[in-house]
Amino acid sequence: TLSGIVTERDTGMPIPGANVVIKGTTNGTTTNFDGEYTLTGVDLDDVIVYSYVGLETQEVPFTGQETINVALAPDAAILEEVVLIGYGSTRRQDATGSVEQISSEEFNQGAIVSPEQLIQGKSAGVRITSGNGAPGGGTEIRIRGGSSLSANNSPLIVVDGIPLDQRGVQGVRNQLNAINPNEIADFVVLKDASATAIYGSRASNGVILITTKKGKKNADLKFEYDLKVSVGEVVETVDILDADQFRNLIETTPGTDVGLLGTANTDWQDEIYQTAEGAIHNLTVSQGLDNFYYRVNFNHTSQKGVLKTDLYQRNALNTAFNYDLLDNDLKLTLTAKGSVDQNDFADEAAIGAAVNFDPTKPVYDENSNYGGFYEWTNNNGVALQQATRNPLALLLQRDAEGKTKRIITNFNIDYDIPLIDELRFNLNAGVDYAENNGFTFRPTTSATVLQNIPAEEVYWGINRNQLLDFYFNYKPYVESISTAIDLTAGHSFQEFYMSSQQRYTDEAVEGNWVLNPLSINRNALESYFARASFDIDDKYLISGSYRMDGSSRFSEDNRWSSFPAVSVGWKINNEDFLKDSGILSELKLRAGYGVTGNQEIGPNYGYLGVYTPSQRGASYQFGETFYPTLRPEEYDKELKWEELQTYNVGMDFGFFNDRFTGSVDAYHRTTENLLAEVPVPAGANLSDRLVTNVGETVSKGIEVGLNGKLIQTDKINWNLNYNITFQDLEITKLSLGDDPNFFIPQGGISGGVGNMIQIWKTDIDPTTFFVYRQVYDQNGEPIEGAYVDVNGDNTITEIDRQPYKKASPDFFMGLTNNFTYKDFDFSFTWRGSFGGYMYNNMQSATGFRGAGTVTPQPYYSNFNANVLETDFNESQFFSDYYIQSADFVKLDNVSVGYLIPGEKLDFRASFTASNVLTITDYDGLDPEIAGGIDNNFYPRPRTYTLGLNLTF
Amino acid sequence: CENELDLQPEDNREGPGQVLQDPAAYKQFLAKVYAGLAVSGQVGPAGNPDLLGLDEGFSQYLRLYWMLQELPTDEAVIGWNDGTIADLHAQNWTSGNEFIRTMYSRIMYQIAQANEFIRQSSDENLSAYGIEDSQRAEIQQFRAEARFLRALSYYHAMDLFGNPPFITEESPIGAFLPPQIKRADLFLYIEEELNAIMGDLAPAPHPEYGRADQAAAWTLLAKLYLNNEVYLSDKGSAVADQSRFKSTSEYYSLAATNSKKVIDAGYELVDDYQKLFLADNDSNGAQNEIIFPIRFDGINTNSYGGLTFVIHASIGGDMDPAEFGVNSGWAGLRTTPEFVGLFPDGADSSDEREMFYTEGQNLEINSISSFSDGYAVGKFKNVDVNGNQGSDATGEHVDTDFPMFRLGDIYLMYAEALFRGTGDASAALPYINDLRERAYGEGNGLVSSITEDFLIDERGRELYWEAHRRTDLIRFDQFTENGVWAWKGDVPQGTTTAAFRNIYPIPASDLGVNTNLTQNPGY
Repeated sequence: TLSGIVTERDTGMPIPGANVVIKGTTNGTTTNFDGEYTLTGVDLDDVIVYSYVGLETQEVPFTGQETINVALAPDAAILEEVVLIGYGSTRRQDATGSVEQISSEEFNQGAIVSPEQLIQGKSAGVRITSGNGAPGGGTEIRIRGGSSLSANNSPLIVVDGIPLDQRGVQGVRNQLNAINPNEIADFVVLKDASATAIYGSRASNGVILITTKKGKKNADLKFEYDLKVSVGEVVETVDILDADQFRNLIETTPGTDVGLLGTANTDWQDEIYQTAEGAIHNLTVSQGLDNFYYRVNFNHTSQKGVLKTDLYQRNALNTAFNYDLLDNDLKLTLTAKGSVDQNDFADEAAIGAAVNFDPTKPVYDENSNYGGFYEWTNNNGVALQQATRNPLALLLQRDAEGKTKRIITNFNIDYDIPLIDELRFNLNAGVDYAENNGFTFRPTTSATVLQNIPAEEVYWGINRNQLLDFYFNYKPYVESISTAIDLTAGHSFQEFYMSSQQRYTDEAVEGNWVLNPLSINRNALESYFARASFDIDDKYLISGSYRMDGSSRFSEDNRWSSFPAVSVGWKINNEDFLKDSGILSELKLRAGYGVTGNQEIGPNYGYLGVYTPSQRGASYQFGETFYPTLRPEEYDKELKWEELQTYNVGMDFGFFNDRFTGSVDAYHRTTENLLAEVPVPAGANLSDRLVTNVGETVSKGIEVGLNGKLIQTDKINWNLNYNITFQDLEITKLSLGDDPNFFIPQGGISGGVGNMIQIWKTDIDPTTFFVYRQVYDQNGEPIEGAYVDVNGDNTITEIDRQPYKKASPDFFMGLTNNFTYKDFDFSFTWRGSFGGYMYNNMQSATGFRGAGTVTPQPYYSNFNANVLETDFNESQFFSDYYIQSADFVKLDNVSVGYLIPGEKLDFRASFTASNVLTITDYDGLDPEIAGGIDNNFYPRPRTYTLGLNLTF
Repeated sequence: CENELDLQPEDNREGPGQVLQDPAAYKQFLAKVYAGLAVSGQVGPAGNPDLLGLDEGFSQYLRLYWMLQELPTDEAVIGWNDGTIADLHAQNWTSGNEFIRTMYSRIMYQIAQANEFIRQSSDENLSAYGIEDSQRAEIQQFRAEARFLRALSYYHAMDLFGNPPFITEESPIGAFLPPQIKRADLFLYIEEELNAIMGDLAPAPHPEYGRADQAAAWTLLAKLYLNNEVYLSDKGSAVADQSRFKSTSEYYSLAATNSKKVIDAGYELVDDYQKLFLADNDSNGAQNEIIFPIRFDGINTNSYGGLTFVIHASIGGDMDPAEFGVNSGWAGLRTTPEFVGLFPDGADSSDEREMFYTEGQNLEINSISSFSDGYAVGKFKNVDVNGNQGSDATGEHVDTDFPMFRLGDIYLMYAEALFRGTGDASAALPYINDLRERAYGEGNGLVSSITEDFLIDERGRELYWEAHRRTDLIRFDQFTENGVWAWKGDVPQGTTTAAFRNIYPIPASDLGVNTNLTQNPGY
């Protein structure tokens, strides 16, 4: 019998739950709370293996001792854990900016089509909101809430070294879908300016670095097949009147003609939605030789939408080849991601039509002139133009397909220059090239087609993004001052080219086709960048970076701008007074300041006055001749970068040998020379609005991330990860003038034309709503048309509209659980959002009697069930009654899995439910809608996924 | 690779330095200034808008001008719920009203476009672009037309807003703050401009129908003079030397002489009043009466504004869109019972100009949002004299041109100018009776004398829904403090309103960015 105590070398503290196993057997035990163990059945020449997560494993040969005490050293590999930081990498513990790495083991589970869904809810300060429930649909990603008003607010995304075109790629639902989620090794999120400033003019909204999986050296030939099959269903539909309620409402509304009512009882929402099946296949081969290793993955994804006729398909080949030469001094990496992305686009107008179409009408009508579908018609059977269209006909009488072929490929050379130690040269040559084409077709039997030939549009285009960058990296350690130095300097050139063209049918022109002129948009960015980092005595960190960017989007005078950043760190845990603390394993304070920019302003030639020729329908007639016209466009010669200044302070900490870790960051950001599309003084330019540098925003926030390894034994592992983010953003300056009451209406709504519900104004959040204050009766019911007369002039005019609540949350959080017991695993993710509000446009647009009965032609349309509560007769679009709390807690996914290890073959099965549960008081379909206006939202399905994985 | 950052447009867009080397480009550029009155952007009906501050369809020049001239009057109500549209008829608009704001933006946009043409077609620039002398005479005439169009828009700005920002071809392009001009100073500027270009404009009628000729400039001068008491009511505050202002009677005399010049220029009344408002009004004879049209075409010149708006929006209830040559009604526009009352026997009038649609409609307006309240008006149509639909087979867009200036109006202006100047309008009686005879049939409806009440009522009967009403009512002091019709002042029976509403407010959004501007009194 052998016994002993296992302690931690650095602290001398006993380790509970450490594994003690006889090598090559399953005979073993774990230490008790005091770090003690007892092991029986030990033979001479056995080797005892002591291990514990985060510490280096130790092996001790058994030579008959009665007692073996071991002290485990910290795991050097963990100490050396490296994170990418843009044009290089650093040790995690040496990072001085707000940098967070999210690796594949932490990813969300389920049938995930788009990569960003993998990290939804995983990182403080990062809010990821899927646009809607469409298969493969786009997502809004906001790091620290976004910094701009009119310019792009999405982070820069860098895939294996290639910054993607922030304008996106044409023809696809989500440009990130070209990256197979299965092939992603990790995400690194750079949040604050000291981390992002190395990306200069594109870094204001944060940077996400995506690294895909590569082969490993000296690894056996390995095959992996992974299958995920899923079914999705609509959880809930919009609360509208059923046929009987509808009939009753029409009959009780004065002046209506009940003769227009039908006898059917149709649930139109039921007609347009379906069960959505999906399948994701991944077949991967990887192998590692001495100096050549590779990974090749083939992916086929097919995902139907819950909206009928909606389909997303992807065939993709991901390859990564690594070749190490010259005794590993020269490393060549070639990655290539080829994909064919195919979509059948459903007509999403059907979602609104299903909510509005008269439920007393049948789906089909044998006398119909419109392909057998019932449509509202006049006495001659001709469709009423203003009436709601049959929702199912909208879906089935349209064929809209798009196809995008894309290749993202990067060749990287990393060369350790032999003459000088620690000097490295790195070069990236990358291309992201996509070709798309597609069409939309509606037959003449569709009631939406006004002409006598089918309505057909064909479109095609090219996106090309070319990159060449290189840098030198010099990393000496200077003994005399015990300082590790890390110097980087480089150059980058990137060009973005986009062309597109369309043609469409028009029976009025000869040949029935109109060809639009080719549109070309090119812009280029040239950059010089440098970074210097010093680690003094493994305690004090200083890092500075500098980038100079030149953009083709600005005039020569404003073309170049520089983006400096500086940050410091103090590794307190390495100070003598804390070094031997048994409790604290990491404590680092960080502070940083940096300047970043935003050049995603929309127009490529905003500083040049150009003349645009007119197209069809915009000529002018002199005498008998029509002349096409030439329009001089607005321009701002002075256009320049938007500039963001960020201060960030942070702390990273770890307790009990990093069993509990966490970080806290606080930031203050000011955006100056804000690029916004604002009204220009009338007459000052060649339009009423201009994208120009005007205004300022200030944002503040606190981000907390906590991670706990609650149980860590050889059988049971339980990790919890929690993050919470507090954010505040307000506009501090908005116009060229200084009128404090100046505002710009925002947020178009459904109902009327040109109606807006939000407001940009100084001192408030840019998603603030702009409404009348509703007056309620004694029973708490809203009184129709009664609003608070704010200025007391006895009439209600738009002066009485006030800013009220906002769409963006005050704080949001995520909680991730990972639990494993032997070969069984269980995980889930919760997310919550608080303090945000939603404008319930579904209720306001059709929740009044006039909405369905006062119609320009003889037809009626359905109502939101809210009409039964308010009994409003006329529209009250701007009532704050419709501003409703959008607080929610969502159980995003729950997953269980079971792994059956075998001699030659590992088999894993899993089951995941996604979008499982939403706890909210919000009345509409979903409290989480980007922008805060709930209007005909494509519902996010609840999805059940069965996963199978074979590795051999 | 820093040269790689010098990127220029590679598609069909070009800078002025390239595009204006082609002499043919000037006519296309001029066409844009004309088209600024007709379309809303570079793709019809919508897709590449000129203005971004409001829905593209709503932002079209004539649509806004029509709304601002007709909706606050007895001639029209609209039942929609778009933004603050209801405040127009209620006469309780504020400086935040987006329709007022967009009219203001559109007018200033139109002026800025005209300025750009005038700027680019200067002699120096023509030399710089290599335009030969032989081609310059025509460009000189284009330039005079651009100045006419600028004067026309300044006239609208002066009439609607009183004291708008003032920019000329001398102004820069950027984000500067244009100065404000006083209404009376703008009056002098418009007068001066029109006189200055007269020699460069084509004699009337212009060989190319649709382009502005001397008669168009005389008409605008006559309108300016006829309204002099309104526009110069505060001339004491003008920056200009007071000696530049003439007496009221001189102005009426000038209004009469300019009207007479137009009358003698060779235009003639079309035989049938309805023809003026049909799809073929550029060829059915009406073109001989129309001095200055805004031209539309169902295929080549279309938008969701202009007469596409007026015709669609005036159809609803039991009206058959096909009868009006369109595919649908938008069920918005009707008229008030007070306006119906201007016609003897109301909707059963023997005056042929009465074109009310009464079937299924109530005379009284209980609810503005209900299309059936208030008689509908079937004046403008997208069918030709034979009842055939216009060129757009889908029935969406109309061919009907808008008669902005026409001889019928000139006849009434001539009579009014004489009446106001001398108290004796008998010299205009034959012309007035030409209009009456066209309305009532030969020998019927004739009048023997002219009174103030007759003039304003006859303008209503002859020119309703042609975007004159607000200006006319103000001149006759019937728009605000006097004059009552249904729902004026936001009450069902109607009430008078404060006189400051005779001009619209400077939009709050422009006051917010342009510190040179002062709000009009009352707002």
